[in-house]
Amino acid sequence: MVETIGPLWLSIRVAAMATAAIVLVGLPTAIVLARGRFPGKGVLAGLLTLPLVLPPTVLGYGLLVLLGRRGPLGAVLERVVGGVPVFHWTGLVIASSVAAFPLFLLPARGAIEAVDPALEDAARLLGRREWAVLARVTLPLSWRGMLAGAFLAFTRALGDFGASLMVAGDIPGRTRTAAMAIYDAVEAGDPATAARLSAMIAAVAVGVLVAVQRTPASRGAGPT
Amino acid sequence: MTEKGSSMAAKGSAPEAEDSGPAVLEARVRRRVHSGLTVEAEFRTGSEIVVLFGRSGAGKSTLLRLIAGLERPDAGLVRLRGRTLFDGDRRQVEPLRTRGIGMIFQHDLLFPHLDAAANIRFGLTGWERRRADDRLAEVAALCGVSHLLGRRPATLSGGERQRVGLARALAPRPGLLLCDEPFSALDLEGRDALVDRLRLLHRAEGVPVLYVTHSPTEAIALGDRLLLIESGRVIADGPPLDVLASRSGMGLVGVRNVLRGVVAGHEGGSSRVAIDGGPELVVPRVDQPEGTAVVVSIRADDILLALGPVAGLSARNVLPGVVERLVPHGGEAEVVVGSGRVRWIVSVVAEAVSALALQPGVSVRMIIKARSCRVAAEDQPFAP
Repeated sequence: MVETIGPLWLSIRVAAMATAAIVLVGLPTAIVLARGRFPGKGVLAGLLTLPLVLPPTVLGYGLLVLLGRRGPLGAVLERVVGGVPVFHWTGLVIASSVAAFPLFLLPARGAIEAVDPALEDAARLLGRREWAVLARVTLPLSWRGMLAGAFLAFTRALGDFGASLMVAGDIPGRTRTAAMAIYDAVEAGDPATAARLSAMIAAVAVGVLVAVQRTPASRGAGPT
Repeated sequence: MTEKGSSMAAKGSAPEAEDSGPAVLEARVRRRVHSGLTVEAEFRTGSEIVVLFGRSGAGKSTLLRLIAGLERPDAGLVRLRGRTLFDGDRRQVEPLRTRGIGMIFQHDLLFPHLDAAANIRFGLTGWERRRADDRLAEVAALCGVSHLLGRRPATLSGGERQRVGLARALAPRPGLLLCDEPFSALDLEGRDALVDRLRLLHRAEGVPVLYVTHSPTEAIALGDRLLLIESGRVIADGPPLDVLASRSGMGLVGVRNVLRGVVAGHEGGSSRVAIDGGPELVVPRVDQPEGTAVVVSIRADDILLALGPVAGLSARNVLPGVVERLVPHGGEAEVVVGSGRVRWIVSVVAEAVSALALQPGVSVRMIIKARSCRVAAEDQPFAP
C-alpha cells in the first residue's frame, strides 16, 4: 500500500519552496531581460527557456551530473556545506525549480515589457530614483502577470516527475512526491490509491487556477 | 556642427524676443533620427511661452525630447537657468530626475493605478507632508481638478486627464514646462479651455513654457513667441502672427485664417457661422446642426480689401476692419486687419498696398465669398 498524504504534503511543500526560489531569482532576471540592453541578451534568454524544451529526464540527468559529489557544483557544495542535494528533499526543490523556472520568467518578462516605458520616463522626470520607478510604477503595473506566472510555476513544480526522480530518487517517506507515488501505486497494482492521489493533486492544481482567476483586477493595471 | 553654433558668443546675436530677460533655456542640439532627418537647432528662450511650430515630422517633438533628456543629442549643449543639462563635449548628461523639467504629453501618461491625487503627488516626494498637501491643493485648484482628486485616470475624460497631467507636471515647481502637442487628441472645446488655462498657469506660476504644436490657432492663441521648425531646423523666430504671415510660415499654413465659431443657422444652399468675438459669416451649406462648434478656414488671398462702402457685389460677406500691421515680402504683403476681437490676415500684391494707401490705422472692408470659407468640425489646418 502506497501512502498518499505524506507524498501529497511533500509535493505541496516542495512546490511552494520552489515557487519562492523561482520568484526570488526570476523577478530580477525578468526585469533585466525586459529592460536591459546588453550583448548576449538573446542567448541568455534562450538558455533560461531551455528547461521548457528539454525532456525532464535530460534536465534531471544534467542536474545530477552537475550536483553529484564529483560534479563541478557538487564538489564545491560538498566542501562548503558538507553535503550534496542529491537523493535529498533539497534536490526535489532544485529540480522542480529549474523545470518550472521558464513558466514564471516568460509571463513576468512579458508583463514588464507591457508597461509603457514612457510612463517610467514620466516618473523619472518627476524626480524619482530607479528603485522608486520600479516599485511605484513598473511593478504595480505588472504584478498581475507575474502572479499568473508564479501560479503556473507552482502547478508545474507540483507535478514534476522526471527531473525530480533523476536528482532526488524515489525514497519512501523522504523524497517520494505525489507524482512518484502515483507511478508507484500503478506499478504495485493499486489503482485505487493512484486514482485517489491523482484526484487530490488535480484538486490542488485546479484550486490554484481558480485562485488566479479570482485575483481582483481592479488594482491591476493592464492596458485599458 | 556649423561654425555658427560653435561658440556661446555667437549665440548672443541670435534673434531673441526683446523683453525675455535673462535666458532660461539655452539649447544647441544636433541629433540624427532614424528617419534620416537631422535635428539641428539653436535657440534661447526667456520666461515667455514659446511655441515650436511646424508640420508633422519636422522634428519639433524630437527637439523637445532632446531638451527633456528623453533622447540624447549626438552633440550640443543644453543649459537651464545656467545649469548644464547636457554637454556633448564634456560627455556630461544630467539624469532625468534632477533636471527640474515638467512635461505633458500627447497621451497623458498618467499612472493608471494611482488616483489623480497620487498622480499629482508623485513628484512631491521629499516634500514635508504639510507643504505637499498645500501644494497639491494649490495646483489642483489652478488646474481645475480639485473635484477629481479621488478618481482613477480611466474614469476621467480626455480633457480632465490632461488637466491632471498638467497639475502633476507643475506640482514640483519645475524650472521649465515642456508640452508635446498635449491637447491635440481633445475636441475643440476642450482644447480652447486648456489653452486658456495654460496661459493663466503660465502667469500664476511664472513657469516658462515650451509648447509644440502643428495647429496655427493654438500657436497664435498661446505663443508669445514662435519658432518655426522645418526639416529639423529653426527657420523663423518671432511673434506668432508675424512668423505665420511671413513667406516661410506661409507655405505651412497657406496663410490661412483659422477661426472658431458656432453654426448659427441654415438658409437654402448656405449656412451662417457666428465667429467667436466676430461677425456672422455666410458659408457653404454645412451638415452640422445649429449650435455645433466648427472651424472656418479662409485663405488669406481669398479675401479682397476695399476702402469705401461696397454695393452691388455678389460676395456674401463684407466685414469692416482696421489695418493693424503690414508685413511686406517680395511682391506681396500680408495685411493684418482687426475686426471686432478677431485679427485677420489678408494677402495682397504690393501694388495694392500703395494703390489703396494701406497703412496701420486705415479703415477697410474685407470682402469674402461664401465659397472661400471652408468649414470643418475639427481643427484641420492643413487640409487643402
